[in-house]
Amino acid sequence: MTVVTKPPITDEDFRKFREFFYRKTGIHFDDSKRYFVDKRLQERIEQTDSSGFRDYFVMLRFQAQGEELQQLINSMTVNETYFFREEYHFACMVRSMLPEIASRKRAGESIRIWSIPCSSGEEPYSIAIYLQEFWPDIVNYDVEILASDIDTTILNDARRGIFSKRSVQNLPPKLLSKYFTPAHEHHFQLCEDVRSCIDFNRVNVTDAADTRRYRKIDLIFCRNLLIYFDDTSRRMAAESFYDALSPGGFICLGHSESMSRISGLFKVRKFQDAIVYQKPVEAERGLT
Amino acid sequence: MGLMKAKNEQMPALDSTPTPEDLPMLLRGLHSTDAELRRMSARDLMQFPESVHALAAQLEVEQDVVVSEAIVNTLAQIGNAAAVEVLIPFLRSENVFIRNETIEVLKGLPAVVAPAMEELLSDEDADVRIFAVNVLESLRHPKVVSWLIHVIDQDAHVNVCATALDLLAEVGDESCLSALTRVKARFLNEPYLQFVAQMAEGRILEGKGIPS
Amino acid sequence: MKKVLIVDDAATVRMYHRGILKQAGYETDEAINGVEALEKAHAEHFDLYVVDVNMPKMDGYSFIRRLREAADIKQAPAMMVSTESDEKDETQAYLSGANLYVVKPIKPDQLLQCAEMLMGVEN
Repeated sequence: MTVVTKPPITDEDFRKFREFFYRKTGIHFDDSKRYFVDKRLQERIEQTDSSGFRDYFVMLRFQAQGEELQQLINSMTVNETYFFREEYHFACMVRSMLPEIASRKRAGESIRIWSIPCSSGEEPYSIAIYLQEFWPDIVNYDVEILASDIDTTILNDARRGIFSKRSVQNLPPKLLSKYFTPAHEHHFQLCEDVRSCIDFNRVNVTDAADTRRYRKIDLIFCRNLLIYFDDTSRRMAAESFYDALSPGGFICLGHSESMSRISGLFKVRKFQDAIVYQKPVEAERGLT
Repeated sequence: MGLMKAKNEQMPALDSTPTPEDLPMLLRGLHSTDAELRRMSARDLMQFPESVHALAAQLEVEQDVVVSEAIVNTLAQIGNAAAVEVLIPFLRSENVFIRNETIEVLKGLPAVVAPAMEELLSDEDADVRIFAVNVLESLRHPKVVSWLIHVIDQDAHVNVCATALDLLAEVGDESCLSALTRVKARFLNEPYLQFVAQMAEGRILEGKGIPS
Repeated sequence: MKKVLIVDDAATVRMYHRGILKQAGYETDEAINGVEALEKAHAEHFDLYVVDVNMPKMDGYSFIRRLREAADIKQAPAMMVSTESDEKDETQAYLSGANLYVVKPIKPDQLLQCAEMLMGVEN
């Protein structure tokens, strides 16, 4: 039996890779993450049949569609979806963003929130529950929640609203019992009352024809999607979101994402709970 | 009040995707006094590769940064040889935003930009040469490293060489080593250049298993 | 300890400035463009910004302008470090709200002198 030893990732290789990855994603690995990064790099080198780091790095840098970079980002980030994930965005929503949005609404105008990608529904349903529980002012406004994903199968799952124990584990017990009923095998079903409030539709965010149908949106949740896109697709998505938002509307990205790798169109807004991005209110539009 | 029940209708396929008859109207919209209309026209012109010259002409005079961004992104999406041809002059733009967006877009169109690279790398304007080196960052072309070596060997301007060295620190290989020695000798009095050349050298030598 | 934000899209430029400033006892952080710089400026206080001009998504002038407009950011001096040596670029820097404009490449003692001078100024 031959034992194949993987050549270690050298210090310079690590630094070179770290700079590249930071430039592309904004994620910085400090030296303490060395073991974690090396392990995943070696896995990818092996998976791609590369002869070593140098070979792998060249491929990574030059792939037209960035497929390997996407795989790599996937392996470097944690990707579970569950209820109340990145809860600070919801706190920011009720504490800071909605009050501003509401103050600009005329009588009868609804507030429109868009969750994209919505995946199996945890995010839009979390938004709905959070609003009912933690935004007292909801009694004064009509709120529409739109939810989109590119995958129709997952949208069907989302409509059914049946979730695993793992998916709901972050919910306070009283909310779990208030909004869910036990279903088969340690699963829970979300009540029809909340499920019926989410408007699910298939959307490909890089297809302008798809996103064109979304207008006058006040708040977009686009978390942990754009980080996987190449630069051109990120720009397309940013433009589409800009068009979809009302002036003064907000967009939230995932915890390791930043507009700095996507677009300079939006204004950086720091609130108590989170940094989010805002489409300029009319008067603030930048002139070159 | 409160959460509204979903309408659950299939979202209507909006029939507003532009058709060829719309082109004249969109071109007019590109010059509208309304910034929003200029922007929407620029976006919709994505379907019309023949509009690249009109888009570039508007980009030259556009004052609103949001509209400029839309024009640049449309040109990026069209992404053909004509789009690259009209974009390249914007590397010389006085407008810092447009200049930098142009670099980013050209980076995303390596196949189409490659034929123009040699000329850009020997442009008489040092700033244009710097921007050209920036574009090389994502260029998939067998000559990238040799172009960078040529720059550090020949370019008189320290910042052009430094920009090339910054990229060589990421993509350099053994073929660069003698040129690295030469450029260090040429700019003895420039600590930053010495720093970057040293770093590039160190990375290449480590890759060869030679402690630097 | 004083903290400096280094804003430049070139990794080696950031490393170079970082090395010089750290050796002189300053703490540093980095951003690759104006958007990231704004995010960091909102998240924590810096005593000095060292800012490049040409960066993707948001250039140096725009960053400084937005920095100066942000009511919720405690202001600090900003020095621009640029490859452009035209007078009008310098003017644009000052009009944006920069305190100093220096042409690259900058020598270590030059960077330190500018940093010390600027951070000694009460804002």
